[in-house]
Amino acid sequence: MAASSVKAARGWPVLALGVRNRLLRLPGLTQVRWSRYGPEYKDPQIDKEYYRKPLAELTEHEKDDLELRKTQHIKAAPATKTSSVFDDPVISKFTNMIMKGGNKVLARSLMTQTLEAVKRKQFEKYHAASAEERATIERNPYTIFHQALKNCEPVIGLVPILRGGHFYQVPVPLADRRRRFLAMKWMITECREKKHRRMLMPEKLSHELLEAFHNQGPVIKKKHDMHKMAEANRALAHYRWW
Amino acid sequence: LDPGRFLDTGSQGSRSLAAHPGNQAPDDRPRAVSRTSEKDPARHAEQHEGLHYDIPLQDMRTLFPHSLPPRFSMQVKTFSEACLMVRKPALELLRYLKNTNFAHPAVRYVLYGEKGTGKTLSLCHVIHFCAKQDWLILHVPDAHLWVKNCRGLLPSTHNRQRLDQPIQASIWLKNFKTTNDRFLSQIKVQEKYVWNKQESTEKGSPLGEVVEQGITRVKNATDAVGVVLKELKGQSRAGRFRLLVAVDGVNALWGRTTLKREDKSLVAAEELALVHNLRKMVKNDWHGGAIVLTLSQTGSLFKPRTAYLPQELLGKEGFDALDPFVPILVSNYNRKEFESCIQYYLENSWLQHEKAHTEEGKQQLLFLSSANPGQLERLCAHL
Repeated sequence: MAASSVKAARGWPVLALGVRNRLLRLPGLTQVRWSRYGPEYKDPQIDKEYYRKPLAELTEHEKDDLELRKTQHIKAAPATKTSSVFDDPVISKFTNMIMKGGNKVLARSLMTQTLEAVKRKQFEKYHAASAEERATIERNPYTIFHQALKNCEPVIGLVPILRGGHFYQVPVPLADRRRRFLAMKWMITECREKKHRRMLMPEKLSHELLEAFHNQGPVIKKKHDMHKMAEANRALAHYRWW
Repeated sequence: LDPGRFLDTGSQGSRSLAAHPGNQAPDDRPRAVSRTSEKDPARHAEQHEGLHYDIPLQDMRTLFPHSLPPRFSMQVKTFSEACLMVRKPALELLRYLKNTNFAHPAVRYVLYGEKGTGKTLSLCHVIHFCAKQDWLILHVPDAHLWVKNCRGLLPSTHNRQRLDQPIQASIWLKNFKTTNDRFLSQIKVQEKYVWNKQESTEKGSPLGEVVEQGITRVKNATDAVGVVLKELKGQSRAGRFRLLVAVDGVNALWGRTTLKREDKSLVAAEELALVHNLRKMVKNDWHGGAIVLTLSQTGSLFKPRTAYLPQELLGKEGFDALDPFVPILVSNYNRKEFESCIQYYLENSWLQHEKAHTEEGKQQLLFLSSANPGQLERLCAHL
């Protein structure tokens, strides 16, 4: 992606880039996000297991890869990516979205407090429940988090398309990353705006995550509203050309 | 993770798993390797080191009616059980207490250590032991609460120069009553105390009356506390009961305060009646009991976060006042205790992350927390 953005900055034809950037990357428009790394820089390999494999077990392809990496330029690994077993890209992305003004320390502590709050609430429910119900109660905050965000992802979205001087909301299938982004964005906006002034973010977030896990709550409602709008506007679907 | 927490402590590196501590009693559940069924602290010995024993919740309500350290009370609420780990500093203290000579002046024991190593919970262990041995427990849960954020300071009725803290004193009296209810009717007051024109306590009436007076008439609460401390100190040498004075955060008594009078002048620590009386209590000029103190940087005022030694936290004045004392260092978990702690969390299913059960996960937890009990607890809370 960095390579493609650099190419656009250098004025090379954008159409050579491939299928990903066709949506709003019309010829003549320069991309603003660019990277200091040239196209020859490769991404770093963070995974410890890759380096732990003994030489005998490597395939020819992997051995060539290793040889090549010895002479290639490698980008610096970002500070947020760790080789820890507890590293989770979804949690990292969510933490970055919560972050305001670059205050990663605060964002991360809010995230950990949210996970702890979810865990404690579920433990309380577990202790209060009977033996049969206990099997159904999920206590792992990470599975709850992932499942809740998955439940909030919309299947179909609306995109404003200009036709005859008016913008029409056209239903459009969304890419995976757009869906994940929308789910997280809705969750965070909901928790920031619709809470009592004195309520803390972890408390509200944990409540919303638990509701979304059970397919209830305002974020799921927002997803359903989006689906209904798309269904209502299905006559405009032929305005889409891709 | 808080940044700067580990700047001065080195990394532990990777360690191999130590063998689990074996079962201590035949009636333990076979899977409960980190627990012991020995509920009486008097019988805790080296073989119980690193194992958890649980305190019945009923005892918790009588012994610790005030709040415990917030994270520990959250853990007690979540697990519905209060489990303390038996550790070396506490065992050492228990040994000293078992061998106290009640004819000699009270010995002062000071628990000190870095942040999060377990000083307050060791103190709780000792208090539980003394309660089981039927001592009278004078427990100040956090002396820092008396020197900061106090509203409603009144000029003292007893001494014009000092200041009263009615709210803090009445809360303390309520908790004292809950802990030591059975002693309050047995101990008789040895002087007459006049509270105001209508009320007075006669000589020979039970101490419970003084406590009631302090709780109902909040204006006299500080003086009631002073009276209780004076009476207990005077009567402990009679031998009818043994007195344990347990103060957490004793460095507050000799530090600065953040309290101001109405004319915005700063209040020094000795101008507070509660602090003045507690300082007299902590002096070793009485016999018939013991004094166990804890230093704490966590709630302290104007002390750097890395300070943990007695000289640093008490200052010259405090150190001279407490000298001589027996210092007991509380340090981070050793390998066995760390394994035991992780086992305890696994038994309660507290570690929910699937990678936390693996060997690699455990090593990462050891590295990230550097075996500090407080840090480990915070890490495991969200994993």
